[in-house]
Amino acid sequence: MTSRQFLLIVAIAQGALLVGLVILIVLNRWVRVRRSARIHPLRIELDALMQRWSLGQASPDEVLRAMARLPVPIAIDALVTWSARIGGDRWQELSRGLESQWWARAVRAASRSARWWKRLDCARFLSVAATSHDVGRVLRLLRDHHPAVQIAAATTLERVGSSALVTAALEQLPFLGPTVQAYYASVLKRARPAVLRHLQQLFRRLDDPRLPRLIEFAGRLEEPVLREGFTTLATHPEAEVRSQVARALGKFPHLESVAALGYLVADEAWPVRAQAARSLGMIADPKSLPAVREALRDPEWWVRLRAGLALTRFGAPGRNVLLEAEVGGDPEARDMAALILGLSPQALAEYAA
Amino acid sequence: MSELIRVTDVVILAYFLALNTFYALLLVLSIPEIWEQTRLAEDEDFQRLMQSDALPPITILVPAHNESATIEASVTAILTLEYRNFEVVVVNDGSKDDTLERLRHAFDLYEVPRTYPETLSTYPVHAVYRSRTRTRLLVIDKENAGKADSLNAAVNASRFPLVIAVDADTLIEPDALLRLTRPFLLGRQIAAVGGTVRVANGCTVKDGRVSDARVPRRLLPGIQVVEYLRAFLFGRLGWNRLGGSLVISGAFGLFRKEYLHAIGGYQTRSVVEDMDLVIRLHRHLQRQKIRYEIPFIPDPVAWTEVPESGRILARQRERWHRGLIAAMWQYKGMLFNPRYGRVGLIAMPFFTFGEMIAPLVEGAGYIVTAVGLAFGVVNTSFALLFLLVAWGYGMLLSLWAVVLEEVSFRRYGRLGDLIRLLCYATLETFGYRQRTVWWRLKAFFTVFTLRQRWGEMTRKGFEDAGKQAAG
Repeated sequence: MTSRQFLLIVAIAQGALLVGLVILIVLNRWVRVRRSARIHPLRIELDALMQRWSLGQASPDEVLRAMARLPVPIAIDALVTWSARIGGDRWQELSRGLESQWWARAVRAASRSARWWKRLDCARFLSVAATSHDVGRVLRLLRDHHPAVQIAAATTLERVGSSALVTAALEQLPFLGPTVQAYYASVLKRARPAVLRHLQQLFRRLDDPRLPRLIEFAGRLEEPVLREGFTTLATHPEAEVRSQVARALGKFPHLESVAALGYLVADEAWPVRAQAARSLGMIADPKSLPAVREALRDPEWWVRLRAGLALTRFGAPGRNVLLEAEVGGDPEARDMAALILGLSPQALAEYAA
Repeated sequence: MSELIRVTDVVILAYFLALNTFYALLLVLSIPEIWEQTRLAEDEDFQRLMQSDALPPITILVPAHNESATIEASVTAILTLEYRNFEVVVVNDGSKDDTLERLRHAFDLYEVPRTYPETLSTYPVHAVYRSRTRTRLLVIDKENAGKADSLNAAVNASRFPLVIAVDADTLIEPDALLRLTRPFLLGRQIAAVGGTVRVANGCTVKDGRVSDARVPRRLLPGIQVVEYLRAFLFGRLGWNRLGGSLVISGAFGLFRKEYLHAIGGYQTRSVVEDMDLVIRLHRHLQRQKIRYEIPFIPDPVAWTEVPESGRILARQRERWHRGLIAAMWQYKGMLFNPRYGRVGLIAMPFFTFGEMIAPLVEGAGYIVTAVGLAFGVVNTSFALLFLLVAWGYGMLLSLWAVVLEEVSFRRYGRLGDLIRLLCYATLETFGYRQRTVWWRLKAFFTVFTLRQRWGEMTRKGFEDAGKQAAG
């Protein structure tokens, strides 16, 4: 084939593709407009029915029938939207009703689909319409390899009180990225009793590499029954564990917390000392004032900053310590005290956040 | 002579084939990407996410130099973004106008002591201000030293682990930050994320937001709409599957601060600091053997004003290409270097041989064809056929970008806008493309003399653009 023939073939193919693309663009618009014209009224009708049903003026059967007329993704969208507005027994009734719907059965079956978007549809559906019969499916979706599916499945934990699901989510939590961990934590908080039981067991596994992340999560729960577990871990050989313990203990104003933090503020690792100084400020027990004063002379800038900020929470005695340090002999403590005393209340509040 | 022309012709044809095969690959790779991204964007329950405390806190960095006219509206718009936990650090980069006074008056600023260590070295900071009315706002007043130095000063002052650099004249869509954090919520090892930048010319802007997206009626900004669609919707999407692009727009990109610190922040001597930053980021992460991704996601959108005059556009394109040449030269050690993985073996060669030298080859092609025709060495019908194929391929890529826009986000809802897009995609090949080749060719000469010069950008302002569209 000569280069001229080759170019000619390419030119013809390009011409055909160009025409094809223009037709595709026009067809796509036309199909979308028609589809929207058909579906939009059905969605409005469903929203109106949902509204009436929430006020007790329509039966769940009418809602289910209206839902069945919509394409599945739109029906799931409607469910997700309305689940935030309607809760309790009324929503449970709808969830039970959905179990017998053909389209809902198809969505449930998609938990085993090879296509991730089908599994995502299933996870989103179950996140608002799961019943106790769905535990196995949710468990599978929680372990899905597509992160979007996992995230949607984790939301189910808010609705289905199953210890098997909580255990699976907690086991996974330390291996997730920080943002996903935070999201899991926010949904797990609502399943508190099962979470607490499992956490107490996990705290006993001292060699577990997941321990720092679990302590971080447990600290967010601010549950008094966990305090004892934290103080026990204050002497753990891993600095990351001690740092998370120091952080968590700030939320538990108790004599034992103060004692443990007094020990941690003299730790060999500076991140632990900084966290301990911060937490001592959060508890603000007058007995811990000397330890925080000492931390203001720490060789590490961040520890001094945290200690200085902590002192502002001790009221007048803390302020006096800062004023003394401002004219004292230690140049580093002097600089930090001057910096902290120069901060506006607003800036202090932002640092505390 | 005739032999030389023939050999040149064959080389150009081979280059054309290799480059366009790669573009075709990008085009094919963009299909599953846009499908996945569109599905994820549609399926998100944003309200639920916004109520959760999982969203990572973000610092928005806003460098401002002589932005007196727009700074108040821009900062107000940024402060009202839909995001749970963010702060805004505005850096007044030694403005000669009353930018700082405007900020002080609008947000009731008061001076505070500097309470952060200077991790990245910058030109002297004169003062740091907080606002009595907007607790999320921090303003830094510093000596003029350019955008990169301002961004470094803002990074130093930022408190949060993710930072996003935003131009003071860029309009961010209210939910764009929320969308931009999606890869983090999906648990991926993200070093940086880029969003889409679209053309604001011709759009109606209300209260610092694009309320009605329109395709401009004027040819020059209109063609740039197609260019931006092509660059973002299929170029960068395709690169997602090839190890990440070398470019995240400086006007709209989210970075992990720890990595910025590790690479020493923004390079103050570069004219395309965004590209330079991403290349150094790739280099650092590959050298450290850190698993990472630098994805582009198409649904978070920022709108920017593009040049409407040929003179300013010429300067912009010349500067971009000058920056590309400088960056490729500076990081030539990464080229074909397996140590840098797909970046060294695919991205760097593409940007060097596909993007950087493309105007040289295309320019040579025009000259050789003209000379060959003049001397009767090149067959006229063959030359025309070649031009037809080359230009037709360009049109095909532009139309493909329009198709991706239509099947995914459809920001331009009116039929008139769609027709204009199709017209601009066709017209781009005739005249505009040749002008850009000339502008980029000039960069090969100026790269030695004007390495750091930016050139001015005259902006009409968004309100004017909006009124014009409405009128």
